[in-house]
Amino acid sequence: MDTNQNEKEIKEQTVSADGESGIEKTDGKKKIEFPEFLTVTSSPHIKSPDTTRSIMLDVIIGLIPALIWGVYIFGMRALTITLISVASCVLFEFLTQKLLHRPVTILDFSAAVTGILLAMNLSVAVPLWIPIAGAFFAIVVVKQIFGGIGKNVVNPALAARVFLFAWPGEMTRFVNPKTAIDPVSIGIDADIVAQATPLASLKHGELPNVSIFDMLIGNNAGCIGEVSALLLAAGGVYLLVRKVITWHIPVAFIGTVAVLTFVFPQGGANSLDFMLYEIFAGGLMIGAFFMATDYVTSPVTAKGKLIFGVGCGLITVFIRFFGGYYEGVSFSILIMNLLVWYIDKFTRPVKFGGKSNVKKQAEK
Amino acid sequence: MAYTFKGGIHVEEHKNTRNSIIEIITPPKIVSIPMSQHIGAPCTPLVKKGDHVFMGQIIGDVTSGLGCPVHASVSGTVIDIEEKSTPTGARIKNVIIENDMADELSPDIVPFEKKLTDTSFDEIVDIVRKAGISGMGGATFPTYAKLQSARGKVDKIIINCAECEPYITANHRLLLENPASVINGIKILLYALGLKSAWIAVEDNKLNAINKLEEILAGDEMISVKVMKTKYPQGDERQLIYALTGKELPMGKLPADVGCVIFNAETCFSIYSAFAKGMPLIRRIVTVDGDCITNPKNLLVPIGTPYRDLIEFCGGLKKQPKKIVNGGPMMGFAQWDVNAPVTKGTSAILVFSKNAESPYEQPPVCIRCGRCVRGCPMHLMPNYLAMFAMHGKIDMTEEYGVMSCVECGSCSYSCPGHVPIVQYIRVAKGEIKAAAAKKAALAKADAKN
Repeated sequence: MDTNQNEKEIKEQTVSADGESGIEKTDGKKKIEFPEFLTVTSSPHIKSPDTTRSIMLDVIIGLIPALIWGVYIFGMRALTITLISVASCVLFEFLTQKLLHRPVTILDFSAAVTGILLAMNLSVAVPLWIPIAGAFFAIVVVKQIFGGIGKNVVNPALAARVFLFAWPGEMTRFVNPKTAIDPVSIGIDADIVAQATPLASLKHGELPNVSIFDMLIGNNAGCIGEVSALLLAAGGVYLLVRKVITWHIPVAFIGTVAVLTFVFPQGGANSLDFMLYEIFAGGLMIGAFFMATDYVTSPVTAKGKLIFGVGCGLITVFIRFFGGYYEGVSFSILIMNLLVWYIDKFTRPVKFGGKSNVKKQAEK
Repeated sequence: MAYTFKGGIHVEEHKNTRNSIIEIITPPKIVSIPMSQHIGAPCTPLVKKGDHVFMGQIIGDVTSGLGCPVHASVSGTVIDIEEKSTPTGARIKNVIIENDMADELSPDIVPFEKKLTDTSFDEIVDIVRKAGISGMGGATFPTYAKLQSARGKVDKIIINCAECEPYITANHRLLLENPASVINGIKILLYALGLKSAWIAVEDNKLNAINKLEEILAGDEMISVKVMKTKYPQGDERQLIYALTGKELPMGKLPADVGCVIFNAETCFSIYSAFAKGMPLIRRIVTVDGDCITNPKNLLVPIGTPYRDLIEFCGGLKKQPKKIVNGGPMMGFAQWDVNAPVTKGTSAILVFSKNAESPYEQPPVCIRCGRCVRGCPMHLMPNYLAMFAMHGKIDMTEEYGVMSCVECGSCSYSCPGHVPIVQYIRVAKGEIKAAAAKKAALAKADAKN
């Protein structure tokens, strides 16, 4: 009997203890109670604040100085082309994902980055349908058909640029800086076209008639976003500081080009001059800092990134020296993109504790 | 230069309680003591409903095999013995005791009278076992068994005070407030194993504790403090051994195989208590924190106290909670019951709102950024492991070393695409283990035929 009474008391006590906890606190604030159900998930239970979106935003921030310079040097038409390119990339992404019943991911800003990169790799003199065609190829064919972000095999913006060489006349017309050009007309008069870009001069074995300083700051003919080596490098340093990219690919890529062009200057030019022109000309800077470092289409290991960068550099110089086309950066990155799977596979890190196992086996 | 390892990540520390003095919690009205708080066989209850128990009385023990006894953490009456879930989800018997608030100590609790130098190894092992001491860092391996397996094989004791998990400051406060007891515990361990050298490994975010230890240990030739770089997961025993000795512990090997044995700081404290006061392991230090807790604190808590009591003692909730985590935020276990008890392995109770996981509404997707590969302390390629597991290519995960994964969570934490990498890895590991068990069972059946 006694024990029964005890139990009753205990039960009453527990009930009253529970009852008390529901009462409002003395400071008048309603007390927060535990919800009926708690979330139970696999650890870890905290996340780094970095997201795909924040990384893409960092890439956009890194690109903006060079893009603003492009608009300043080539006029408002550069802005028109950029806006068309970004808008069509985002729209194509949205439409394809709707059509394929995939979750819409335009808010991760990866399509916007593709759009900006595509525009920056176009001449300001292209007809306005060119960025739309490029965006279609980049987003629909290269990115979404292969499964969307993270699944594409090659860099969408670069693949689109190369696809657009199907119209070589439109794609290889460049204008000199500060040329007056209609910001919104669909096509462009042929008479304002520059005679030769620095890369074309280099191809013909002569140094461009632009000073190295102009090449550095970007006062020369070329694509909208590729002319200012200085601002692109600044954007690249921003990405390095923000730890969005690592040094491996840019250093290996630019380093390889620098060494090869220094050792083998073409057309009897001074080694140093030739090297500097080759580094500042064409798409090397934007390619090394922003395109070759594209996560999806570059290796994940440090060793792999070095191999990737060196490979890009070798192919770039090979094409610039011996190829039919002036520029080698786009092709070199695309070719190396195709090898990423194999590079990752062969540069797989030795797992922790694996080395001593290898040694032991060797001893046996 | 601080010692460190290759890989790893920098996690926001959130050591909010680093200056919070350890407070003794209001005695709980009811404690619920699980019969298994260690790796090994669960205990059999030695008491029955209605029994009166003393504080420190053995209420459950293992009859054979690996395991150590559990004790009543309060005095009072056994009101029930019921099956409940452990923090990791297994069902286990719990002895529920109603606290009579008298704190009547068990008559068995007497200080160890003999001089340490007259004590045999077996006696020390027996005391450690009887005190129910198991590793208090979270893995809860019975300490007596660790001593037995290390004897004669190791030349170095490492005391793990890295405390690399965010939020937790329990070891940090222990080193600040009671360093002498920890050091005495280390001395007992050194004597037991017949060794001359112990290292106390502390991360360099606890400089005041390092200074204090160095002050006390000035002139001591056996015990020294090693300053570790603050990086997650520095407290993982493999990384700790690598950082201090340069030896990589291969998969499936124990620290003893490379001549080291590792103890947690609070384990040393408990060993000293068992000798000095005869007190078994019935209380532990628990950090109570998380963005939902009004006043984060470090508490000295009787084993078996429900989480709710700890949270109430810290001023209750200030935000709508989503998760309760037993242990650190990187490797701890999410709980579903706010009345579940603190066990010997509970270093922290963290209550998180939905903001703790940096909400991101985009679908999880790998963008191959490589952060997981850079951060993996085991030098694996978590992105590939997750991808293979996602597509059911379990043989490929095995080839890429999935079984070496220690599930530290560095990859999932740093993934900007919010891919639950560790979860995929756990699925793959589970399937590999299941397949191996099936194979073994078939081989056994074949052998019989």
